[in-house]
Amino acid sequence: MFRKVLIANRGEIAVRVIRTLREMQIASVAVFSDADRASLHVRMADEAAWVGPSPSAESYLRIDRILDAARHHGAEAIHPGYGFLSENADFAAACEEAAIVFIGPSAESIRRMGSKTAARQMAIAAGAPVVPGAHETLGGPADARAFAQQFGYPLLLKAVAGGGGKGMRRVDSDAEMDAAFRDASSEAERSFKNPDLYVEKLIQRPRHIEIQLLGDRHGHMVHFGERECSIQRRHQKVMEECPSPLVAARPGMREAMGEAAIRVARSAGYYNAGTVEFLVDARGDFYFLEMNTRLQVEHPITELVTGHDLVRLQLEVAADEDLRLRQEDITWRGSAIECRIYAEDPYNNFFPSPGKITRLTHPEGPGVRLDGCVYEGWTVPIDYDPLLAKLAVWNGTRETAIARMLRALREYDVGGIHANIAFFRQILEDEEFRAGRLHTDFVDEFLERRKPLTPPPELESIAALVADFHAKHTAPRAESAPPQRSQWRDIGRHEALR
Amino acid sequence: MNPIEAVEPGVYSVLVDGRSYEARVEESDSCVVVFIDGHRFEVEIRDPRRWSRQSGKPVVEGRLNVTAPMPGKIVRLLVVEGDTVESGQGLLVMEAMKMQNEMKAPKAGRVVSISAREGATVAAGDVLAAIE
Repeated sequence: MFRKVLIANRGEIAVRVIRTLREMQIASVAVFSDADRASLHVRMADEAAWVGPSPSAESYLRIDRILDAARHHGAEAIHPGYGFLSENADFAAACEEAAIVFIGPSAESIRRMGSKTAARQMAIAAGAPVVPGAHETLGGPADARAFAQQFGYPLLLKAVAGGGGKGMRRVDSDAEMDAAFRDASSEAERSFKNPDLYVEKLIQRPRHIEIQLLGDRHGHMVHFGERECSIQRRHQKVMEECPSPLVAARPGMREAMGEAAIRVARSAGYYNAGTVEFLVDARGDFYFLEMNTRLQVEHPITELVTGHDLVRLQLEVAADEDLRLRQEDITWRGSAIECRIYAEDPYNNFFPSPGKITRLTHPEGPGVRLDGCVYEGWTVPIDYDPLLAKLAVWNGTRETAIARMLRALREYDVGGIHANIAFFRQILEDEEFRAGRLHTDFVDEFLERRKPLTPPPELESIAALVADFHAKHTAPRAESAPPQRSQWRDIGRHEALR
Repeated sequence: MNPIEAVEPGVYSVLVDGRSYEARVEESDSCVVVFIDGHRFEVEIRDPRRWSRQSGKPVVEGRLNVTAPMPGKIVRLLVVEGDTVESGQGLLVMEAMKMQNEMKAPKAGRVVSISAREGATVAAGDVLAAIE
């Protein structure tokens, strides 16, 4: 096994990897940009290396600097986390050239799966079902219109190099095509430095269900079942659960999806952890969507239900150990849910809300797992994804897991910035959600139908009481503070002087 | 016994009629925001002995500026000067923290000025547009 591993990432995933490294008595090397000097992953790691200024293009995406740091610190392997360089085939290849183990699949597998059109062709060859779509990069809006003539609207324009909904647009008619094509293409260019698009028939109100895989370098591969990731906002997953309520109700579906996923991965010569994403229609038919050649954000719920540490397994197979797990060793117990806690304002169109965390209370107690990267007094930087933490809970059934998540969210308090905690509580109380009728437009429809929260009448007077008390008893700001005078502070000062 | 106990900075434990509540207080420029059990209350303090709760956002008369809530980049303008807009209609798209967000009209009216330019970087508080 490795003695020292560098984590080419930041935030909660860097912290999560460090935790397993420490449990395995492997030394950890963090990397950080200017914005992250005080970040938790740097505080927790055994060693840390500065890799550049705050913009990720000048730090976390700099292959040369990451490799320099690994060499300088004597790291034998690099864990890429998710995002940043995790699905960059050139990075995987550069690691290999530098004789540093990349904890992930081969550069070749990343390359093959990284092109969505190539991945699709591979899935077709492996006998996995796919959504009807054009197999080649589109030359322009006219090509997409020709596709619509054959398969009809609505259709979906997608970035060839894409992921996470960036560079993706729904198109409902010929008239919308030009604008949608231009927007998707420019967003793809900005996000991935590649403006190429392809087109797919849109499956309406699909579920998004994915299969977790893990294989060793010797051709042995197992699946860890599914995660339901249909709760998305702007095509970004915000809440995931395992098992999927749909799969749980259909005998044999998990096995069928798992086998299809393994077939696709095998055809790419895949090893290490990966996830095959499927769209599932109302009938329960599933279609290959793409393969993510990295550890997923939402992996903790699989860990909670199967009892396996996926990062530990990643490290073992990366160190060329045989995967001793057989498929029949993997069992699923109970139900797990994860909420992605973001620094964003649910009361104001989910606008990002960076800033200093002035107050922080974490949920605790039975069945609660928190993968976070924040602490009181830390300033959430504006330079990166505003994910603060992933709150996951486990319980015996879906119903009790929902109750546990509601309980945990009530204990969770983040002050000084906004977080989307109240939003999750509303979803968890929603009848459609509780009935397990999920699909990828769920959140949009929910936001339309949700009623404004009506607080119990007594809370209003309690709020007034507390505000009054607060105004009277809070010491006025120090004189050196900027002259941000507001009426109530003047009153507070006046009261204090009396 | 005082029903309100300051337990942590900005956090108050309230006991009323034998029931226990926890309230968290944040200060904004114009009011005090109180959170109780996921509910949000904006309380305006006018006089220490008098208070009133703002019910929703007040209707603003006259010209209203739309400002950038945080540093970011203007991706696209959705309206031009002189356009009539509905409350909540998208005015422009701003990118911040890797996410694109539509800035919406805070009230119905006419777009009297747009100072934002596509591709421009803006700082928090910069005026992007004005509605009258």
